[in-house]
Formats: sequence, structure tokens, C-alpha cells
Amino acid sequence: MTTQPATAPLRDDEPPVNLWRDAWARLSRNRLAVLSLAIIGLLAFVAVFGPWLTPFDFLSQNLDARNLSPNWVHLFGTDELGRDVFSRVVYGTRTAFVVAIVVTGIAATLGVILGALAGYLGGPFDRFVMWFTDTTMSVPQLLLVVVINASLKPPLVNFMEAQYEATKNGFFRNAIIIDFVLVFGSMALILWPPYARLIRAQVLSIRSRPYVTAARALGLTTPIIIARYIIPNAIGPLIVAISAGLGNAMVLESAFSFLGVGVNPPIPSWGNMISDGLQVWRNHAHLLAAPAIVLGVATIAFSFLGDGLNDALNPRGRK
Amino acid sequence: MSERLLDVRDLKIEIDTRRGRAVVVDGIDLHVDKGETLGVVGESGCGKSLTMLSLVGLLPNRIHTTGGSAHFAGTDLLRMQPAELRAVRGGRIGFVFQDPMTSLNPVMRIGDQLMESLRQHKRLDKAAARQRAGELLKLVGIPGAEQRLESFPHELSGGMRQRVMIAIGLACDPDLLIADEPTTALDVTIQAQIVELVKGLKQRLGMSVVWITHDLALIAGLADRIAVLYAGTVVEDAPAELLFRDPAHPYTRGLLASIPRLHGEDGARLSSIGGTPPEPGRRPQGCPFAPRCPLAEAMCHDIVPALAPLRGVATPHRVACHVANRVREAA
Repeated sequence: MTTQPATAPLRDDEPPVNLWRDAWARLSRNRLAVLSLAIIGLLAFVAVFGPWLTPFDFLSQNLDARNLSPNWVHLFGTDELGRDVFSRVVYGTRTAFVVAIVVTGIAATLGVILGALAGYLGGPFDRFVMWFTDTTMSVPQLLLVVVINASLKPPLVNFMEAQYEATKNGFFRNAIIIDFVLVFGSMALILWPPYARLIRAQVLSIRSRPYVTAARALGLTTPIIIARYIIPNAIGPLIVAISAGLGNAMVLESAFSFLGVGVNPPIPSWGNMISDGLQVWRNHAHLLAAPAIVLGVATIAFSFLGDGLNDALNPRGRK
Repeated sequence: MSERLLDVRDLKIEIDTRRGRAVVVDGIDLHVDKGETLGVVGESGCGKSLTMLSLVGLLPNRIHTTGGSAHFAGTDLLRMQPAELRAVRGGRIGFVFQDPMTSLNPVMRIGDQLMESLRQHKRLDKAAARQRAGELLKLVGIPGAEQRLESFPHELSGGMRQRVMIAIGLACDPDLLIADEPTTALDVTIQAQIVELVKGLKQRLGMSVVWITHDLALIAGLADRIAVLYAGTVVEDAPAELLFRDPAHPYTRGLLASIPRLHGEDGARLSSIGGTPPEPGRRPQGCPFAPRCPLAEAMCHDIVPALAPLRGVATPHRVACHVANRVREAA
């Protein structure tokens, strides 16, 4: 063969350009996003290593030191039972992160799978999924969660009790487990629809791209095409949504704890701390301020990071 | 006569529109022999691409085949189960698409995309597929093939990407390679290289090729036989050399006359065919070309001409025209 190959300029000395490197470069120029990332990193560190960082146990009460204002021993003061508020906020961070990550993880996974299938397959399945998301999103979130929570709790408690009777395993008598399953379950059930709609919209535009037709012409199966050709190309907006969704889930968890349907005391959650603090804030403002400020900072950090990621990953918004 | 590989008979494709079904492909007859290169020529919208996509069940929503048959190595593709058809696509029939810029998955490395069909159809393990992928890139003349496996599509030029597309189409040693305007998005020098590449590969691998194009000049040196499509039907089907030397259908003549010549008369106007092809769903009653045809007679507007062998020639030269025979004999 005498063909002269059409040679592209080989730039082996330069690092190859790729979406993530590019996005990272743009993200790191955004100061607000970097600051947010740092705050989230710090909170994540605290969530993981909390027990080794706290000066006091979050449960131990010291009735001689009740309702102390912030001081050098108790950085955020103490509550009405003499528990160290700083330690409780640190443990609350753990609760917030676990809830946020697990709930967002479940919701996003569910949403991506249902949304991608709906968009790719179309037809009755698409209509059913979209009807379901519309219905779910049209009911106020808090109301829906309370309803789901209330209707799921008795059967779950009975189920766990039956498991305990059958196995005598203390695990099934753990009220915390039941709480978490309920909180995760009901929150994930109301949070997946936005992810499904986002991914569906992406899939609708991507599935008619030539490379998808090319993949079908290769005889690849539908699951492979969705997993390797469609979802990876739809992932940018999803990452943005997940980042904002983590902050959203933290607020939602706090709201539920505040209403008494979330994580129950004595497990510290920012929400139930705010709820407790609200009753005494005139006299002991720090009990309300400490968890509320941390929650506020965390939420804002997540949404600014989401914003930064949006700018970094969205090619149309490039400056 | 050599062995038939693909035999499409009376293929009909219709589109669902708000006003009912519109016929876009109306009884296409095509065949490809083993080791043959068939050029399929026609203007945009004449049904070239739809015909090829319909063979392997890749028609878009709302477009259906409503009649005919397409036998590939003895089995009718149009009556295959989806799973069987999936084994044919990419396995026994390879595809090369028009736009190399958008036909590769932008977030997947070249090597991985090459390996997809190898793993799907040949059930190769990762290492074997990878080695084969490297060989394929070498086969299509990509320098530094091994390193290129790691590249993403955007790191390659258009011509290189089309080479990669060809490599993907060839991955499983197909019996038939369908190239759908593979050079339309490339500039002229690269076009020539791609044509040479496919020519060389065809000889080496002994496969059949269907090359869809609207550029007659491009396939002049490539195709063994050329089928000219107009408004969803084959109007002329002849060995390439014969078609250029002695075109029988008025449409083919019009096409050939409209190719610009380098040494034409100064100030001569470029010849063109008056009018526009019929819209799908608004086909004339008789010959679809009759309204634009300089030779049209009364019967042309009423009766659809069948694709029939030309009288008085030894080589198979088929044409769908009422007047072609008479005009030739008179000349």
C-alpha cells in the first residue's frame, strides 16, 4: 500500500487534554469553589476522624456544667444536660455526611438507571417513569416524607422484632438502625426524580448522536450502549446535580430531625440539635447557633462547589 | 457468475408522518457479489442511507420497512430476530459512517472502541482484543498504532478518525463493509487517501464493499459496479466503466454531464438537471424522474418503468426507463 498516512500532529511532549484535566484547571481558578472544596474537605475529615478529635464523649453528661457558654474547655459551650456541644456538632457532621452520601447515592443511582432507561427505550416505560416523577415532585417533600415514614415504620419495626425473635441477634433491636433505614429510605424515595429527569433529558439528546448509531451498528447490546456510550457522556450535569444534592440532603435531614421524624436523640444530628436549641435560644443562644452555623456553612459550600463544577464542566458557559 | 452475497429485492421503506405514511424507498433492487465493490450513487434524500440502515435493523423511529426481502449469504435480514441481527451487525457486516468527527464516542479511548466489537462478537479476552486492535490500526495506516490506542478521538485529525472508523468496521473480518459517504466530511486530499486505503484493504481481505456516495467522480476508480438511485428506486445498474462510457438513463446522463471539467470551454455554463426530486409522499404517478426528464413521453407520466436489462448489450446493464432502449437504437 502506497498510501501516505494523514499524520495528525503528535504532541507527545504535552500532557493530553482531557475533560477532567480541563475541568479541574477551570475549577481551580474559581476561588469560591476552591474555598468550598476546602471546607467540604475539612468537614469530611471531621466526619471520618471525629471520635479521635473530640475532647468529650458526645453522650456523657456533666450536670455540674450545664448550659455553659462557649469557653476554652467547651469550645461551643454545653447543653442543658452538660454535654459538650462541640463534640455533638462533630458527631452531627458524621450523621450529616452519612445521610447525605448514602441518600444521594441511592437517589442518584435509582434516578440514573430509571432516567437512562426511560430516555433510551421511550414508549410506555418512559411515560410511566415520567408520570411517577411528576407525581412525586408535585407533592410537598416534607409531607411526603412524613407520610412514607409513618407508613413504613410500623411494618419495619415489626419485621425487625420478628428477626430478633428468630435470631436473638442484638443487631435487630438497635433503634438506630431502624431510624437510619427509615430516613435513608424515605429520603431516597423522594429525591430520585430530579436525577431521573436530568439523565432522561441528556439521554434523549445523546441517543441520536452518530456514535450511538455507530455503536448499534457494531452489534453492541443495549445495556452496554447505555453504560458505556450514553451515561459517560451525560455525566457532567449529573456531577453538578450530585454536588448540590449532597447539601440539599443535609438540609432535608436536618429538617426531618427538627420535625422529629429523622434521626432521633440521643444520636446527634444538626437538625435535632437545632430543634432542641430553638426552645432555649433566648437564654442560651450558642445551643442554636453552633449547629445552625455549621449546617449553613456546609450547605453553602456544597452549592458553591456545584456552581463551580457547573461552570467547569459546561462547555457552553466557558469564559 | 460469482456468488451473491447480498441480494435486496423490491425493498420498501415508509415514514410515518402526521399526514399518513410516506414512501421513501420504493422497491429497490440491489445485489452485491462476493469480492465486489458496489457504488451506490444518488442525491441527498434518495434513500441510499436508509436502505443500508434498514438491512441491519437500524432505522430510526417512525421509519419502517414495509416490503421486500434482503438476503445476506442466504438468510433474509429483514426477517431475522433482533439477537441474530445483532450478531450480523459489526460481525459479518461492518459499517463506516459519514462523519468521523461525531461517530466516535468522545469519552472512550480509541483502543477500547476498537475492542468493543471484538469482545462482543469474537469473544476475545482483553489481551487478545488489544493486540488485534493494535494490528487493525496498523492495517489502516495509522503511525504509532500502539500508542494511538490510548488516544481519545479529539486528539486525532478527521482523516485519522475515519481510518479508525474503518478499522472498527473491519475489526471482525466482515464479509461486507458498508461505507456510508465515508469521505464527505473530509477534504479532497484525504478523500483520495481513504479511497486508496479501502481499495487496498478490499484486495487484501477479499471482502465485498458497498460504498454510498453522491460523488460519481470519487467512486469512478473504486467501484466494480454502480447503482444509481433516484427518489427511492434504482434507475440504472451497470458495471462502472460501462456506466461512465455509455450511460443509459437520462438521470445518469444528467449527473455525468454536471460534473465540472477542468478543460471545458471558457465561459461555458455548468450543466444541471432542472427541477427538484419529488418529496417523499408526493411521488408522481409514473416514472419518478419524468417531470424533470428531457426525453419524457406521455407514457412516462403514467406507467412506472421496471428495472430491465438493456437490449443489445452483452454485459448486464439494467435501466429503468421506457425510452432508453429506443433512444439508443435510434442513435
